[in-house]
Formats: sequence, C-alpha cells, structure tokens
Amino acid sequence: MSNPDGPLQQHHFLLRRLHSLTGIVPVGVFLIMHLTTNSTIAWGGLNSRAHGDGWFDRAISTFQHEVTFINEAPLLLLIEVTLWVSIAFHSILGVYYAMSGKPNNGSYKYGGNTRYLLQRLTGYFGIFFIFYHIATLRWGWSFLVPGGTQWSHEYASSTLAAALQGSTTDGMQASGIAISIFYFVGVSALVFHFANGLWTAAITWGFTISRPAQKRWGVVCAGLGAALMLMAWASVIGFATLDYDKARAIEESMLSGEEYPAELHDETHAETAAVEHDNTDG
Amino acid sequence: MSDAEAHAFDADMRRVNRKKAVEGRSVIFKIKRCDGPGKPNRWESFKVPVEQGANVISSLKLIAANPITTEGTKTTPVVWDSGCLEEVCGACTMVINGRVRQSCSCLIDEYAPLEGDVITLEPMSKFPVIRDLWVDRDRLFNALTRVKAWVPIDGTYNMGAGPKESPDHQQMRYALSECMSCGCCLEACPQYNKEEDPEKWDTSFVGAHAISQARLFNEHGTGKRLKGERYDALSGPGGVNDCGNAQNCVKVCPKGIPLTESIGAVGRGTTVHAIKRFFEGKK
Amino acid sequence: MADEKRVIVVGGGLAGLAASVRIAEAGVPVDLFSMVPVKRSHSVCAQGGINACNEVARQQGYSEYQHFDETLIGGDFLNDQHPVLEMANWAPKIIDLLDRMGVPFNRSSEGFRDLRLFGGSLFKRTHFAGATTGQQLLYALDEQTRRFAAEGKVNKMEFWEFLWPITEGEGEDKRCVGIVAQDMRTMQIRSFRADAVVMATGGCGLVFGKSTNSIICTGGAASRCYQAGAWYGNPEMIQVHPTAIPGADKCRLMSESARGEGGRVWVPKKKGDTRRPNDIPENERYYILEERYPKYGNLVPRDIATREIFDVCVNEGMGINGTNQVYLDLTHRDPEYLTQKLGGIMDIYEKFVGDDPRYTPMRIFPAVHYTMGGLWTTYTPGDYQPDQPMGEHKPGNPIPIDAQLGHGLTIGAHNNAMTNLKGLYAFGEVNFAYHGATRLGANALLSCIFDGLCNGVSVVNYVREGVEAPASELPQTLFDQAEKSEQDKHDKIMSSVNTGKGDQALNPYQIANELGEEMNAASTVVKTGPRLEKCLAKLDELWDRYTRMELGDGAMWTNQSLSFARSVGDMIILGEAIAKAGLLREESRGSHYRTDFPERDDDKFWKASVAKFNSDTNKSDIEFMPVKAGLVKLRPRNYGKVDSGTNKEKIPPKQVAEAKA
Repeated sequence: MSNPDGPLQQHHFLLRRLHSLTGIVPVGVFLIMHLTTNSTIAWGGLNSRAHGDGWFDRAISTFQHEVTFINEAPLLLLIEVTLWVSIAFHSILGVYYAMSGKPNNGSYKYGGNTRYLLQRLTGYFGIFFIFYHIATLRWGWSFLVPGGTQWSHEYASSTLAAALQGSTTDGMQASGIAISIFYFVGVSALVFHFANGLWTAAITWGFTISRPAQKRWGVVCAGLGAALMLMAWASVIGFATLDYDKARAIEESMLSGEEYPAELHDETHAETAAVEHDNTDG
Repeated sequence: MSDAEAHAFDADMRRVNRKKAVEGRSVIFKIKRCDGPGKPNRWESFKVPVEQGANVISSLKLIAANPITTEGTKTTPVVWDSGCLEEVCGACTMVINGRVRQSCSCLIDEYAPLEGDVITLEPMSKFPVIRDLWVDRDRLFNALTRVKAWVPIDGTYNMGAGPKESPDHQQMRYALSECMSCGCCLEACPQYNKEEDPEKWDTSFVGAHAISQARLFNEHGTGKRLKGERYDALSGPGGVNDCGNAQNCVKVCPKGIPLTESIGAVGRGTTVHAIKRFFEGKK
Repeated sequence: MADEKRVIVVGGGLAGLAASVRIAEAGVPVDLFSMVPVKRSHSVCAQGGINACNEVARQQGYSEYQHFDETLIGGDFLNDQHPVLEMANWAPKIIDLLDRMGVPFNRSSEGFRDLRLFGGSLFKRTHFAGATTGQQLLYALDEQTRRFAAEGKVNKMEFWEFLWPITEGEGEDKRCVGIVAQDMRTMQIRSFRADAVVMATGGCGLVFGKSTNSIICTGGAASRCYQAGAWYGNPEMIQVHPTAIPGADKCRLMSESARGEGGRVWVPKKKGDTRRPNDIPENERYYILEERYPKYGNLVPRDIATREIFDVCVNEGMGINGTNQVYLDLTHRDPEYLTQKLGGIMDIYEKFVGDDPRYTPMRIFPAVHYTMGGLWTTYTPGDYQPDQPMGEHKPGNPIPIDAQLGHGLTIGAHNNAMTNLKGLYAFGEVNFAYHGATRLGANALLSCIFDGLCNGVSVVNYVREGVEAPASELPQTLFDQAEKSEQDKHDKIMSSVNTGKGDQALNPYQIANELGEEMNAASTVVKTGPRLEKCLAKLDELWDRYTRMELGDGAMWTNQSLSFARSVGDMIILGEAIAKAGLLREESRGSHYRTDFPERDDDKFWKASVAKFNSDTNKSDIEFMPVKAGLVKLRPRNYGKVDSGTNKEKIPPKQVAEAKA
C-alpha cells in the first residue's frame, strides 16, 4: 500500500485530482442529463396543450423522443465506453481511498462528519446500483430483472416500467416494489454523492477557501442536489406507477408513424378532464 | 448552527452544568490503563472528591497521591502527560468521555455536576501508547519537518527588521500560529490512522495541523521561498489530497484555528503549483 | 564524529533553543535535552510581550539606556549591571531577528510593529503577539531548531531528564564535561560527554506548590547543579505576580498586558459588598493602584502591585465578599479590541472561570510567578566603564551611551553567563544575573533570548579555544562512575516501593503538597524572621520524611512517580536555600519584603546572597557578595507613591478618594 515507487504513489496527485474530476466530468454531468431525460416522464407532459394531446401521451412521447435522440447520437458507443471507464475509474479509486479512512461518527456527531460517512456509503451502494442498472437495462442481463423484462429503446417507457414493476401484465408486483425501492434509494444515494462531492471538490481544488465561501457554495450544491433529487424521485415514481399497456400503445403508434387509437386518446383526455373537474369541486 | 452559535451553545451548556454542580460531591473516574507498549489494556475506576475549581488534572493528582480503586485495591498512580495546565502547551490532550480535548481545561463542574457522575479517560487512539494516558506524538512533529514549517532565515545575526505586514494579515497569521501541536485535529480525523512505523510516516496523512502550518509559512514574506517544496510534499501521498473533508478538525481545535480554510488554501496552492509545473516543463 | 567537540544544552525553552540555534549555527554540534517536546516548554505561558527600545519611543526621549535604567530600578539594584546594559542594547536587534523568523507581532495600521504599555515604564516599549507572545517566540525558535535538527546540526533528546553534571578536576580547575540523564520512557540512565553544558532549565515555581508555572518547573535541574557545587544566587528573590486566577491545580496567569491595555484593579469600597461588580457604581469602587500610585497607576512593578493587593485583602479585609480576590476590570474597553490584543488570556479566563472578561470584571489574586534568583554566573565587562556611576536617568536626557559607543559585556568572552564551574553555563530564568529583586514585566523573554544569542557565542569560543582536552578524550571511568552514582540513587528510591505500611505522610505527593503550602505561607509576599525560622524547621521535618519516603509505583517503564519523587528532594533542598537567604537578608528589597525590616538597607545588603551547598550538613551556606555594579548610582525606589498602604498609619481608602476628588 505504501510502496513509495508504486504507480499510485508516483502519480498520486494526478490520480487524486482525476478521481475528483471524473466525478464531475463526465459522470456528474451525465447524471444531470440522465435525470433530466428520465424525469420527462413527470414533466414531459408540460407542453401537451401546445401539441393538443394528453399529458400522459406527451410525457411518454417526449421521453421516447429523448431516448431516440440519444440513441441516434453519433459515436454513441464511444461516449458510452468513456462513461463506463470513467465510472469504473472513479469507483475503483474511490473504494481504495474510502478504505483508507476509519469513520468515527459515534464520537464526533458533526454534520460534516455525517456527510463524510454518507459520501462513502452512498459511493459503495452507488457502485452496486449502477452496475445493476447498466447490466439489466443496457447489457440486457434480463435474468436479474423480476419478470425478465428486456429494456428496449424503442419501447423506452413501457419496458422500463415493466422492469421496475416486475411484470408486463399484472402491474406492480411484490418483487417490483423491492426493485422500485432499490431504485429509489439508489438514485437518491447517487444524487447525494454527486452534490456533496461537488461541495468537497471545491475545497480540494481550492475554489472555496474561506468559511463563508464554503458555506455559500454549500447552499448552491444543496440547491442543485435538491433539484436533482426531485427529478430522480419523479423519474422513479413516474415509471414505477406507469400503465404499461397505455404506454405500449403510444409507443407502438409512434413507431408505426400512425395516430394512436382514438379511443385511447379520448380516454386520457376524459381522465384529465375528470381530474380537473374533481379539483375544482374540492 | 454556525460556529459562533455552536460556541455560544457550548458555553451555555457548561454554564448550566456549573450552576447545577453539587458541592462536596465525589465523582468516578473510569480510566483506560496500559502498562506499556504491547501490554494489555485494563479499566480502573477511582472515586475522587471534587475540590473548588477542580479539573481532570487536579483530580489525577489526587488519584496519584492516593491510588486506590473503587474496589479498594491499591494500584499505581496513573501516568499522564501535562505541562502548562492553561491550554497553551498542548501536552495534556486525551480522550475524555469519548472526545478528544485538553484535560487541564476540562472542569469537573462542567462535565460531572452531580454526585457519582462518571468521567472516562482514554489515551489518544491515533498514537502509540507509552503508558496509561501518555502517548508518543513524534509523528506529529515529524509532519512539521515534512512540510518545512519554518522561515528560512539567513542566520541569527542582526540584519534589520523582517517584512512589513498589514494588521489584517498579521491577525490571519497569528490565528494559524496559535497551533500548539496538541493533536486534537488528528485524533478526530477519520482519515488519520495510527501508524507506529516511522518509515511510513512520510507517506501517511500529515493531518490538518501540518497543512495549516504550511499555509502559515507560505504566507510569510520570507517563508514563502519554500512554498514550492511545501507544495511538493503536500501533493504526494499523505498530502492534502488525503483529506476526506469530514471537517472534524476545525470543530475540535481548542484554539479555533481555521484548519479547513487552510486545507482549501493549500488545495488551491497545490492545484496552481501542479499547473505551473506542467507548463514550465519541469519534471 | 568521535573527536568533534560538542555542546549539551539542557532545557528547550526560549533560552535553550536560542542557545542551540546560535551554537549550531556557529558549527558546533548540539545535543538538546528536554523533559518535554521542546515546543511544550514553559516559555509558552509567557503572555504579555517583550521589551525593547524602538523608534517611536526613541523619538519621545526613550533609549536603550533608559530601558537598562528601568530594569535596574525595577530590580531594586540587585541586578548585575553590565549584562543588563548589554541586554537592553541588544533588545531592538532581537526583536528584528524574531520578526525575520516570522513571529506574528501585532501591527499598526501602517504595518509597523505595534507597541503596548507595560509595568515599570511610562513609554510604550513592549512588542507583543496577541496575549501569547511567549508561545509565539518559542514557536519561532522551535521552528529554527527543527530546521537545524533536519540538517543534523542539533540532536534533540526529548523526554530525557537531566540528573547530574559530570565534572573533572578540583577547585579552580573543576570543569563540567558532560551530564547524566535518564530517558523518562525506558528509564535508562546514561552519561553524555560534552565540552560545555548550558543549563537553560527555568525557574522553580513548584517549590511553592500552586504557582503560575508549568508542572515541569520544579527547579530540579538547577538544584542538582547546586548540589554538585554550582553556586545559587539570590534564592530568596521570588516574584509573586499580582494577577492570577486561583485554581485547584495551579494559578493561571492573567498577563500584565491586561493592565497595559487599560485594565484597572479595584475592590468595592464597602467591605463585603455582595452586589455584582457591574452593579457597583464608579464612585463606590476603590481603584487600589491608581489611588496609591497616581504616576504609574496600574502599571507599577509587580512586587508593588502584589503587596498592595495583598494588603487590601489580607490586612484590610476588603477583598471581594471577604475572599482573597480583587477585580481586574477591562469591561470599559471595546470587546473587539480586547479580542484582538488580549484574545489568548480572555479565552483562558472564560474557559477556566466561565465568565467573559469582556463583560464581567475578572477576579484575581497574586500567585508565585518567576524566579529572579538562580545559578550564580559571572562575566567579563565590556568597554563602557564610566569613572563615576550615573545618577538618575530622566527621559529625554542625553543618552550616556548606545550600542555603538559602549558595551556592557565583552561579547564572546569565555566566562559570560558561566557558573563557578568551568564549562557549565546558566541561561535564561535559571541565570540569576538580570532581574535583581524584581523582574519587570516583558523582560523575561528578552533575557532568555539574549542569553542564548549573546552568550551562546561565549560557549562556542570556550569550546573552541578554552578547552584543552576534549571531552571525547577523557577516560571512560569518569563517566561510568557518574552514571553509576545516579543509578544507585535511582535504585535507592525504587527500593522504597512497598517497604512501608502505606503511611500517607511518607507519600512524595503529600510531602510536596506540604512543602508548597509552607513555602507559600512563609516565603512569598510578606516574610518575617520568626515565620522563616519556623519554615526552616518544617523543611527539616519534610526532609526527614523524604528520606523515609515510600514510592507508589515500582514500574521500570515510564515511572513518573519516580521522577517526581526525585525532584521533591531537590525542591526541599532548594526551598531551604530560599528560606535561609530570606531569613538572613534583614531588609526589604523588591519582591523580598520583611515586615520586621521594612526598609532597604544598602549598607548591609546591597549584596547578592549566594548559596553554596554544604554536602556535610545537606544545607546551604549563605554568603553575601557585592553586587557587580558601577554603572548606575543607587537611589530610592518608590514609583511616586502618595499614600503608603504598607506604612502602618492607615488612611481609610474612602478618605483618600475624597482627598483626591
């Protein structure tokens, strides 16, 4: 471990700073984009009125558009491999560095110390979560998914919902609840890890020195973290509660380039109207 | 809670306890003892009457004068390190009720206001125990050599005054210069681990105190001549990058030294230093 | 390496470190022995500042000469005059050097070194770094020592206790060639060779039990040198600091700088007034020092302030609520200003007492603080040798000399600060020369560093030129014998473990407590012949118990009880010299105040008391030797007192106040 001539020692500074940097670029930046995309399931319907269709339809189709857009990006594999390498690099070094500390939160119950511990715990858990997430949804290890759903970029919403719910036909299963909670905790952990990492990185690199500066930057990071957290939760809840059949129908129609069935269209309209009506009554 | 509020809160708590303090009471000291390196630990308890204004040191003195445990067994006086007894020398640092601090300024009235209250004393855990509560803090001083914590003056002959300095800058340096090398910041740091092998000291974490001292001398007109060498030392293994930003150091520092600011400043310094070195083409 | 000449420095405070740096810089290797990591030496406790003539004061009529003059009158003319003159001459340069080393001296708004008032002077001549000046100076020297240690020029031996100086030869030729020391962790006792040994071991406050000193200030090392034949000068001169916080384990110092920054000492005019201090209106307060000494006010020298506070509490019973405490009040100053100038001591008070002195007056009482006496030393005077001693120096008078025109000492003379044993030097507080019968505030740090820097050169010259046979060539038997002698003493103490019935009276901690109480009661602020005689009898009794002492710890590893027990014997021996010299000095001078002889008696006692250890009686033989003077004429010392609180016709304070109004 402390071989003075080992590569970890020789390039200590570079590795340490690369570790910090990769957490922000590309991994952190990707996290922001990824959560923005995924949370379209919650806010994608915002412009439904402009398109003259239903909230739900618009959310599904926006998400599908985003997925398709990313999927058609040039050099997608290169981007993906860069990400995977960065995540692997950040993870392996992170674990190595985290193992060098001995948390003492029992004796020193300070906020900073709690965040220190959480940073490490969320790191460990995040690695596990990301691995599961990529393996099941990207590499197609569907044997790890209850119900065995294979995610497909053509049916982005519906297959994702099924993977979270544990079934394509029967809605939320017990195993699905477990997977959804796992996702909920996983994304929360990663968002915390990113926001807190962004705060500590500013000290590591020397952007924030004075205590007021550290405090102000802390507020910014907390704000960013809160926004990302909302997006992350919205995504998980959105997909965990998504109606598989309806989503599938919308995706089918997008895929075939046809208008989706009119009755579905009306039905969603009617539902929205009913909700609005209820609201005004209440 | 801001540091100032936390300080006020702490002071309030102490005042409340002091008001509660019962006169003529006795309190129990539970002390972790060890006869020497490699010997087993054991706990011993002592019942000690509380004098007016008593602190942990005066209580340990009473125990030394009459070392009989609560079980009635005669034992040896407890060994501990101390010096000035007014919190400027740093010697009497130990872990009291699970937290590190100086024992001289630990007033019994504030920690154990009632009859039979227990105070536990343990040696610092990040340094090898010499005996009982006395630990060997050589590594701490070694870290000061590592970061060249001195001003490289030409010599002690008369060569006129030193560099002029603004009062604000002096206040900033003074705050850093109050570090008494007690080791509280190291004891509370989750990234600072016990290392008994001196061979490994130069690659293990230096700790907040040394980082802050490096900053102190980088801020001096003449001291900054060794800035590059200090940053080299702090860029390597065990340098400032090993900090995990738990920021316990600044919370437990008895002198209120802005250690985390020093870590940020040295972080910036090493960043700039690395960039400069990259473009200057050295090494 | 083997035949290289070496120097041993014992003690790592300001004097020891300054000496180490200076000697190592000159190319002579130094072995630096200390009982604690040198950064934890007692010098850290010095708070107020360090005196030196400076440009601002100079242009107002101040000079190095006046600094010298003030130090002499402060010391009631018991100081050796030549070294004091040289010290005052060096002072401004020492400040410059410390400045270059990085000491964060407080600054004026323009960036110059700030100054504060201090006792015994009407000029601002005290440089300071907050209220932890000693700490800051020690750290600067510690850093330089660390630099030399990293270069291999200083070899630090920390946690080694000095046991005995090794000497060879007899009579005039007796010289010191090494020391015996013990590793406080492994308990190993061994001898070390050296061509010169510098004692920089500080004072002996612990002889008086609770003092403002650190727990290492037993005076053990000085006492051992004294027992080995070094003379001990002015043992009775012990400074009691007027303002300290009484505590269970020690009395914590409240710096004189508190008064320098405007602190006022007062008690309620009404005896036993139970109101809170902030509720007592201005006209119902008795400002003790301001009313008794209008010229110097709160900034009279320490012995005077101490006696007046003592007088008000003990004789007049006017202490706060009848206790032995008075107020030291800074609440009229801006809290922000106090934090900046006195933060260190404000924090100490708040931590140990619980009240914030920025808003509540502090409660203080005098406590033993400084040892003016110490190992007797000699020197070679310099070229300033007036035909007639100068009379009183008035501010603005033409300066008789300055550093360029005349020296107090011959710089680099082999015998500067050397004890009567050749090759054994005494630097800093353990050197008796500088402070006479009272030390002025902020002169202690100066004398320590001055000794190290100025007389360090003497050590180098002595080692290079004055030593015929290097210590490395002396027969090993000499060192083996010294080592064995110490081992025997050690074994004798160790053999006392568990030999008795567990008699508490024979417990070394108990003996030390009684020693402290007795010495404090008999030999501090107010002394009388009969009380000192009683004290000497008590010391006999304590010595008898000490010889039958029972040690509580038989461990052969890190045995602190043993180290402490050994020093108890040394403290009793030193205590005997302190009390006996006090008994024989039948006058009052500076800190030494005898109610049975309240006046200074220059005819009989303008002399240094020199204690020589008599190994047959195990006691001191006191001899009075003329003070080395000749530069300044004797004159009375009264600091413009108006109403003598110490003369027996008491005027009620209220009347004084009215008379003043």
